[in-house]
Amino acid sequence: MTPECSRVMDHLGEALPPDLAAHVARCQECQVVTGGFDFISGPSPAPTALVSASAPDDEDDEDTLPGQFDARRFALETLAKQPKARPWWHGLVLLVGVHAATVGVGLMLLSRDFWVGNAARSSLVVGVAVLILALLGAGAYIALSPHRRVVPWVAVLATSGALGLTVVLTGSGQQGRAFLAGLVGCMGTELAVTVVPLAVTLVLLSRSAFHPVRALAAGLSAGAASLLVLHLHCPDGTASHLLWGHVVPWLGLGGIAVLLRSRLPTSSHAP
Amino acid sequence: MKPASAPVRTGDDSGRASVAPESDEVLMARFCEGQAPAFDALFQRHSRQVRGYLTRLTGSASTAEDLVQLTFMSLVRSRGRFLAGSRFKPWLYAIATNAARDFQRRGRRPEELTPEGELPTSIADESPGPRDVGLERAVRQALDALPEGQRIPILLHRFEGMGFAEIADTLGLTESAVKVRAHRGYLRLRELLAPLRTETLE
Repeated sequence: MTPECSRVMDHLGEALPPDLAAHVARCQECQVVTGGFDFISGPSPAPTALVSASAPDDEDDEDTLPGQFDARRFALETLAKQPKARPWWHGLVLLVGVHAATVGVGLMLLSRDFWVGNAARSSLVVGVAVLILALLGAGAYIALSPHRRVVPWVAVLATSGALGLTVVLTGSGQQGRAFLAGLVGCMGTELAVTVVPLAVTLVLLSRSAFHPVRALAAGLSAGAASLLVLHLHCPDGTASHLLWGHVVPWLGLGGIAVLLRSRLPTSSHAP
Repeated sequence: MKPASAPVRTGDDSGRASVAPESDEVLMARFCEGQAPAFDALFQRHSRQVRGYLTRLTGSASTAEDLVQLTFMSLVRSRGRFLAGSRFKPWLYAIATNAARDFQRRGRRPEELTPEGELPTSIADESPGPRDVGLERAVRQALDALPEGQRIPILLHRFEGMGFAEIADTLGLTESAVKVRAHRGYLRLRELLAPLRTETLE
């Protein structure tokens, strides 16, 4: 589509300026597009008989539209409960608060003698922890923000993949328990720590329209709380343990969030 | 100007202008502050158009009626998600589109399935109106044959009278992406309706 074709699109249904009319005369595609537009202008493709089935109501009472009583009653009830709208970022603050509390409580419960069991260099431990925190916040923001332009799949997957790779490659290399025992322990901990953040995330997500990318970002954000707890607490730093015990379950939680959200009812279809 | 016969509508309903002369955005701001009459004005101004859009989108007036309710209930519940400075109409149509998508994703009600348990692509008119019903049906079927990504921009552009910037806002896409989709949709429509066009000309 050339810039002229794009301008023709903007003027569909209107008298074209001379330069665009000359373009349409030359451009076969534009002739077809304007023809397609004009051709569907006469008949209404709406099922007129069905639309008119409910039309008598409109004509009987000019001031009351079908469904207005129900909608108005609902609006009044909602306004009575909460007169002023609560801004969308209240949900974001709540979610990030829950994630932060989960990290704090998780570390407190797991750490008997030490807060940080990760034996890697402290700068690496802090750096990766900051990256996980950044993803936690960004994921929550993407999930709950009312902006209609959603981050593409590729960006979410690439970012989470890069973080997973960073976690694996910055491990201390130190082996703790036997591979399987360590794997089961960390996977269990990751799932247990994520239960509350994921539940709150799903409740908040169901208050807006379902969007798979948002649900994925939300799930990864909720899982990031437990990923951070494990990153700080777990003394096992081998690449295989970090991959299968920390990163893969975390990515799996993102998928679970999408699946669960797709099956939950939606209380509001607002973007 | 768009042809007079086209059911193109703008956000304003001239018949209701005296009821609510404020812009949609002002009304929405008032509603967010807790004023119920602002909601009434928005409902009066937009519910008919939204119902028409949803009827075209779902092919069923009764479903559209339910979805209009859902759309406005979502508006009430999520009024805090309306961003100050953004346009109201694209936001409302985004809610309506999401409601229709959710409805289609979860499956239709049993009474709306065909005897074979399949989804109807369109509902047949029971009483012929003054229009050319055959032509209408053909256009509707051609629209139904388009993929959703092309159909929704065309419905919003051609039948709701929305500009491409507004449609982009509604669908969360760039304006150029919407134009490309509509462009392809019109090309495909013309192709699908070519035999009918030849008949009409003859």
